[in-house]
Amino acid sequence: MTRTHNPAGPLIWTLGLALTCLLLFLFQKALWLVLPVLFALIAYYLLLPLKRRLLLAGVSHDGAAALVGTAIFALLALLLGLVSPALAQLADAVQEGGMRYLDGGLRLLDTALRWLENRFAFAARAGLATEAATQVASLREGLAARHLADAALTAAVWLPSVLLVPFIAFFMLRDGWRFRRFLANAVPNAFFERTLLLLDRLDRTARLYFQGLIRLTVLDALCLALGLWIIGLSSPLLLGVLTAVLAWIPYVGSIAGCLLVVLVAATDYPGNPSIALAAIALFIGVRLLDDFVFMPMTIGRSLRMHPLLTVLMIFAGGAVAGVTGLVLVLPLLASVMAVGETVGAVLADPRLRARHRHALALRQAAVTRDLPPPA
Amino acid sequence: MFRLFASPPASPLHARLATSPLFATLSPRELRIVGTLIHERHYLAGEVIFDQGDEGQAIYTVLSGRVAICRQGDSGNPIATVAAGGLFGELALIDGGPRSAQARALDDCALGVMFRGDFTGLMTAHAAIAGKLSFQLARHYAGIIRRQAAATEAAP
Repeated sequence: MTRTHNPAGPLIWTLGLALTCLLLFLFQKALWLVLPVLFALIAYYLLLPLKRRLLLAGVSHDGAAALVGTAIFALLALLLGLVSPALAQLADAVQEGGMRYLDGGLRLLDTALRWLENRFAFAARAGLATEAATQVASLREGLAARHLADAALTAAVWLPSVLLVPFIAFFMLRDGWRFRRFLANAVPNAFFERTLLLLDRLDRTARLYFQGLIRLTVLDALCLALGLWIIGLSSPLLLGVLTAVLAWIPYVGSIAGCLLVVLVAATDYPGNPSIALAAIALFIGVRLLDDFVFMPMTIGRSLRMHPLLTVLMIFAGGAVAGVTGLVLVLPLLASVMAVGETVGAVLADPRLRARHRHALALRQAAVTRDLPPPA
Repeated sequence: MFRLFASPPASPLHARLATSPLFATLSPRELRIVGTLIHERHYLAGEVIFDQGDEGQAIYTVLSGRVAICRQGDSGNPIATVAAGGLFGELALIDGGPRSAQARALDDCALGVMFRGDFTGLMTAHAAIAGKLSFQLARHYAGIIRRQAAATEAAP
């Protein structure tokens, strides 16, 4: 009789989907911890190949983690030292340019609405351009004063969480293997091979997802930067990186990224809406490339899910946990399903359960061998 | 400080692995690398290690005690007995097929278990170790073929 690993059935899928939603709901309540752990996981899976190389060169686990951690911190410190003058200039430019880009965007909106009013009678009757200008003016009034204090408070609240990222990443790198071994040692012999398989699948799913995400971001950033540079927009690389990182948030992030690019295009070329249109066309082109070429090449391989389920779960994630849910739902579902499939396969296997009971009986007999039966 | 980056000291597990023909040709440093991938498990006499037909996810080396390899349901007539230093479970790992026989502990025994992912990862990433392990596996199979040929010749 050949006993092979069966894919998850409807019960496991239902439980997996429900558990994913529940976890997303709980994660939202502990965002101060979930986000640093998420970023630490990305850093961990990026640095893990370096640590593995050192391990294969004969360095101990602790030594390899310390070497990689020190090298990365030194590199980051060096980079920060080198780019800090440029960062200070950039901060000034953002402070001055933020309102300029907003004005540019508003001018584009005004032009578009006036064009609509000229073409369509209903738009003219509604007075779209005037109405929008009034609304925007009331929104902008005291905008900085209202939100500056909130922004400063949010930054102060999130700073400790941000500082947790390198700390968590280092200890994942140093002690992750101990944790896996600790889990494996706690598993009875009968279930041991299946547990090793589960840990491997979880690790592989997470590794492929996060490494795929980074590759996808780099490809997106390069394509967008190249396209924006050809169009002639300012700071193409910065814009490319920003929009590629924003794309980590499904749908919403892409729209926000497109809006950002359009704002810059409208400001750099105020009298030339064709540049903004070219930027939108570029954005749509890169998104299509992303969905049909890059995504299957990178992340798609790690999450073998039906496209309809993927889209539905993204919506469910957004409904349960907002932007956090959008970002986390797919890797979380993949991990939950990896656990669910294996746990289901173990619990549904009567032979494994029988072997475990047999082992327990042997152990009981071994420890009571020299004890006379009670009178 | 420098000790942190040095190879970890040899443990009793490494010393026992060195007695296994599969790992016998590895240098102490290579043995320590392999040792980080080995899980030590303890089985009682009579306990089933894996069943015939199971998905093979790991390769086993006997650190102490003996293991019987038998047909499922016929543990009284083992096909082979693997003593300390011996190797089993490698066939399913190499060809990806199901386990061809059942493995059951004859005595209380300690086993070193290397998971499929770790084994294939090691074979892909470390050319020197991969070469030595491949050669030792080939020798292991050569031994099996010679013994089978001798048994066939001896049969009436």
